Formats: sequence, C-alpha cells, structure tokens
Amino acid sequence: MSTLQSSEKLSPYHIVILVYMTQFGVIIFSLPQLLSKAFGTNGWVMNLIFAIIVIVNMLLIGAAYWMGKGKSIFVILERAMPRIMLYPLYLFLMFVWSVLGCLVAKEYVLIFQMIAFPTTHPMFFKIALDLLVFWLMIQGIYNISKSITMLFYLTIWMLPVVCFFYADFSWSRLTPFFFREGQPSPVEFVNIFASYLGYELILMVFPYTDKKSKLIKSSIIGSLLLAFIYTYLCIITFGFFSLRQLQRMAFPLLDLMAYIKFPFIERVENLFFGAFLFTTVATVVMYLWSAQETALQVFKRANVKLVAGVLVIFAYVIAFIPDTLSDVQHWLGLFAQLEIGIAFILPLLLVVVLAFTKNKKEAAS
Amino acid sequence: MKNAPIRLRRALICMLLLLFMPGCGDQRILEKLGFVQASSYDLGENGQLEVTITMPKADQNAGQRRDVLSLMARTGKEARVKLTRESNLQLVSGQLRNSLFGMSLARKGLLKHLDTFQRDPSISPRVKLSVVRGNAKSMLERNYPNQPIISRYIEGLLQKESMGQNIPVSTLYTFIRDYYDDGIDPVMPVLRNKSDNIIIDGIALFRGDKYIAEIPADDGMVFSFLRGSFKLGELSIHLSEGEPGGDTVMITSIVSKRKVRVSRSAEGAPEITIQVRLKGTVIEYTGGLSLDRPAEKHTLEKQIDKELVKEANEMIAFMQKHKTDAIGIGIAVRNHMSYGAWKQMKWPEMYPTVKVKCNFHFEIMNAGKVVE
Repeated sequence: MSTLQSSEKLSPYHIVILVYMTQFGVIIFSLPQLLSKAFGTNGWVMNLIFAIIVIVNMLLIGAAYWMGKGKSIFVILERAMPRIMLYPLYLFLMFVWSVLGCLVAKEYVLIFQMIAFPTTHPMFFKIALDLLVFWLMIQGIYNISKSITMLFYLTIWMLPVVCFFYADFSWSRLTPFFFREGQPSPVEFVNIFASYLGYELILMVFPYTDKKSKLIKSSIIGSLLLAFIYTYLCIITFGFFSLRQLQRMAFPLLDLMAYIKFPFIERVENLFFGAFLFTTVATVVMYLWSAQETALQVFKRANVKLVAGVLVIFAYVIAFIPDTLSDVQHWLGLFAQLEIGIAFILPLLLVVVLAFTKNKKEAAS
Repeated sequence: MKNAPIRLRRALICMLLLLFMPGCGDQRILEKLGFVQASSYDLGENGQLEVTITMPKADQNAGQRRDVLSLMARTGKEARVKLTRESNLQLVSGQLRNSLFGMSLARKGLLKHLDTFQRDPSISPRVKLSVVRGNAKSMLERNYPNQPIISRYIEGLLQKESMGQNIPVSTLYTFIRDYYDDGIDPVMPVLRNKSDNIIIDGIALFRGDKYIAEIPADDGMVFSFLRGSFKLGELSIHLSEGEPGGDTVMITSIVSKRKVRVSRSAEGAPEITIQVRLKGTVIEYTGGLSLDRPAEKHTLEKQIDKELVKEANEMIAFMQKHKTDAIGIGIAVRNHMSYGAWKQMKWPEMYPTVKVKCNFHFEIMNAGKVVE
C-alpha cells in the first residue's frame, strides 16, 4: 500500500460527509427535469424510492463488510481465487471508475463553459480541476475525507438560499396527481439513479475503518442526508415551475439560482455554480482514488504518485472524446449502467465468496 | 523536506495561473460592451420582426446618454447579429431588464419570440415583459426629459405598481410558467405613452401565448384579489356608483387572502366559489356613516363587499366571454378531481360555461385618526 496512507481510521462523522459529498454531483442540476420527464407530476416522490434502493444496496455491502470483518475487498477476493483470475475484474473496475470520474468532471466543466466562458476550450478548465484532484487523491483516504469535510462546509451554506423561492412556490402547482404525464423507461431510471451513485465506493474504504467507524450506519445516514436534500430541492423546483415548463428545461436548478436577486447583486448563479465545483471535486476524487486503489493491487510495487498521475492523464485523455454536453450525458448514462451493476454484483460476489470460504474453513476444521 | 515550501509555492503559482488564465480566453472589456437594457419587438412588414434595443453609452459626454438601434429581421437573435454591425460595441444581453411587445405582435403570439429568452443562459428569468399599446419601438425611441434611462424608468414603474398589486408581476419566468401550466393563462401589463411619460394602461389577458383582451388598470386591484393572496395594497372604491354624489372610500395596507372552493352541481359540472377575505385601513371616507360605531362600520364593510362582488362578477364574466383563465380557476378545479376526470373535462372548453360565485369579506382594521 501507499506510503502516504495514514494508519488512522475514519470517524463516523467523516464517513457521513464523505458519502454525502461523493453522491452529490452535477446531475442535481438536471435531476428535477429528469424526474418530471420520466415520472411526470410529483416526480420528486421517486427520490424516496431511490433512497430505499440505495439503502438496500448499502445493507448488501454491509453484509460483505460484517462477514469479512472489515477486511479489504481485495484480501477477501484473493483468498478465494488466484490473483491472475482477478486481474480482468480489477482492470474493469479501474476503467469504469476512472472514466466515471472524468465524465462527471467534464459535465461540470461543460456547464460552466456554457454559462460563463462560451468560447474558451473546456479542457483548459479541466486541467485545473484535474490538478486539484491529483493532489487530493495522492493524500490517502483519511486526508481526502478531511478535505472533503472542509469542501462540504464550503457548499452547504447555499441551502438556506432556497428560502428565496418560497414566495413563488405554490403547492397547487404540484397538482394532486402522482406520476402522470411522464414517460418512464429503464434508461431514464438508470440516468436518474446515476445522481445517487457514489455510495458504492465505501466498498473501497473497508480497511480504513474499525468498529468505531460504524461504516454502514454512517454511510446510510450520509445517503439519507443526500436523499433529504435532493427531495427538498426537487419539491421546491416542482412547485416553482409548472410541469410542462420543467420538462423542457435542461438545467432547472440553474434557472432557479438565476432567479435569486439580492438588493446589491443580481445574476448570482455564476457564483453559486462556482461553489458546486467543490462537490464535483469530491465525487471525482473518490472515483479516481478508488481506481487508484485498484490499480495498486495490479501494480503492487508502483509508486502511488505515478499511478495517480497515469490515471488522471488517462481520464483527461478520455474526456477529450465526448465533446458536447449531450455526448457526455449519454456516456454518463452508459457508465452509470455499468456502475449500478458493480454496486450490486460486487458486494454479492463478496458475500458468496465469504460464505464459500467460511464453509470450506468449517469443513476443514 | 527543505524544498517543501518552495514546492508548495510553485504549486500555488501554478493553480493561480490556471485560475486566472481562462480570463484571457473569453475577454469582456467593459468599454467595448454594449449592455442591452431594454428591447422591443413589433410586427413588421411581410411578417418580419422589427427589433429595437437601447443601451447606455459609455461616453456620456457625447450628448445623448443612450443608443437606440432598430432594424427588421426574422428573429430576435438575427437582429442582434445585424445590430452589432451598426454599433462599435459588442452587444450583450446580461443586463436586459425589460422587453416590450407591440400589440399587433402580441395578438399573433409571443412564444416563438420568447424561445431565445429561455435558451440564452445570459438572459435573466427576471426580465420584465409588457405589451405596448400601438408601437413598442416608438416608446423605446422616444426621449423622456425627466427620465434619461428609459429601461430603469420602465422597470421602476412596473416594480412599484406590482408591489402595490395594481398590476400582476410579469416576468419571463411567470409568463412561461403560466403558459405551460394547464389551469391558468399568462398576463402582462399594458403600457402606453402619455405626453412625456409612460403610463400603465391595463392588464393584457392571454389565451396561450396570444393577447386576447384587456382589463382596465383601474380594476387591477380587484384582479389581484381574484388571482391570489397578498399583503400590501391600496384601493379606492366608489360606493353606490352611478348615483349622484356617491361616496368614496380609500383603503390602504390591504391584506388579502383568496380561497377557491370547488363543488359539484346536480349535473356534475364544477361550481366555483372564490372567497376573498380582506383587511385594511380606511384613510379616506366621504360618506355619512360613523366608523366608530360597530354597527355603522359593519354597514360600510357590507357596502364595500357588495361593490367588490359586483366588480369581480363582471370581471369574471368578461374573462369567461374571452375564454381566458387569467386568475387560474382551472388550477383549483384540477386539484379537486382525479387525473382521468380532469383530462376528460377539457377545461378550456368547459371554462366559459362554469358557474363562478364571488364572496368578499372586508374587515376595517381601523379608520385612521378621526373619531366621529
């Protein structure tokens, strides 16, 4: 493992924020629109369903955590089968996580470019973001979680700003109908669930926790916090815009922020959007850090900085390919499908492996 | 370890460079920008659009304090491209505050022209929209001796009047929101020139995105009572109108609460009751009742209620006649039934025939400093 890794274990407080920040991403800007398009009237209710799916998944991860007594997933897997067989899996995980990280960053950068710097090359901004990500990811998870806690406080102050919309919010605009005038499809479902992804990365922090960390409980609290904030923002958006208006807005949350007017300043959405950089950085760092942890299993003797550098450059190069916002969103949808697969199948595989090795041990004794 | 501070400094310099360098890419030099503050759209010849913009001049010594440019184009954005050729400045719409639409254009529908307003991220959803009686261009072109900056003048006028509830708020956001909602139609204020000033002349009622009819500005307060709840408003009522020497009451600090009740008639058609509860202070009363005595105060309240009910009924009948649901009765009806029944009802067709009853309940909080 890395020489920079701290031996200190994560605290429950840091885990709550880590999970929340990893999950909170740029998709929130289009989430109300995605919900209104797929589920129609009162689509915000679906947030609760997604939260339940996350918790079920988290309990599955919990089963692997408890059965494996907090051992690293790599240790669990490598005990059961030869490493050479696991390499394809490791490479696959590495690939998916680093590409997901780069797509999230690229989406943020493209939206930023749209509202602020229309003719500057977006990859120029991405260099700045990737450098920050690189410096963070080589610090090890303990320091990452501390930094993310700081980033959390740099963004959470924006929540009270939502009070601005109470005056134009109307319950009657929500309508008493549930899930009418939407076009639900499995693809839309996955696209929306993508806004909840990120929690599954706690699979990678197993070895950095102990009993005091209360990993699963803290993670569930973190994603409940996220579900609460998502639901709150979505209710406000559904009551602020009319349904068909919402269905055709690409980034309703941006429009919502554009509506804020202070007596001394108007058009503050650019400032607010800038602050969302922090939540994006948190998500990207966690994906790339997970890819880095996996890479270190394949290249055991490699230098952490080298691995991190290669991954960041790889992600940067990949990000060149999808160059419009719709391309990025399309790719994000595809990779979210893979990630949902990983989120459910990987812990399931761990549970099976653990049950199998336990049986073998019992039989041997 | 000795090199650590140097390395840190280098990293920091790197970060700062990266942070500020994008500024060189998309330059916005204040002196070279033309901030479009107000724009107007009129129906031109051959279905073309006559677009006019006004922006303040950076060089204020040049005599005129603002530039007004105008031309014919197919769309608003095409006009901007062409207008840029007429100006030494780069036109930007981030400071756009007002957009005016000529009456003839409003009659043909505005949604098409609002597309760019919704699409362009630099345009604020708070841009105020108004209809101009006659030609919008001439309103924008004209010089107002007392008001050198016309966009600020119009914005202030609309802001103040909508705060006092004399006209509804009409921004890009409210117009689009109500256009896409299925139980309400959008509205806009109507402006017109009056000697050297601009005056609010009425409230334009839309069906979809088309101007249909108008309510006189004097009835703006009653319209506000029917459209929603609010605080802060002023109202002057002529009691026993038509008779010679009718009394006048002026009420201020009005707090209004509106409730819409929906019931079903024996045939199953919806019947609507709009219940408005008002509280306010009397600051002028020319009649003979003594407002100290509870019974007489109550009589005056009843007289006011009666007058308001009369005006409200007339207004609703007018809107029903023109098939425009500007006060959002449809929203209340929709929220009182199942989805299937709502879709089956075909509200726009049903609306003109629906029975609407208005109830006003006015309460005088105090009658000022006079005791009689």
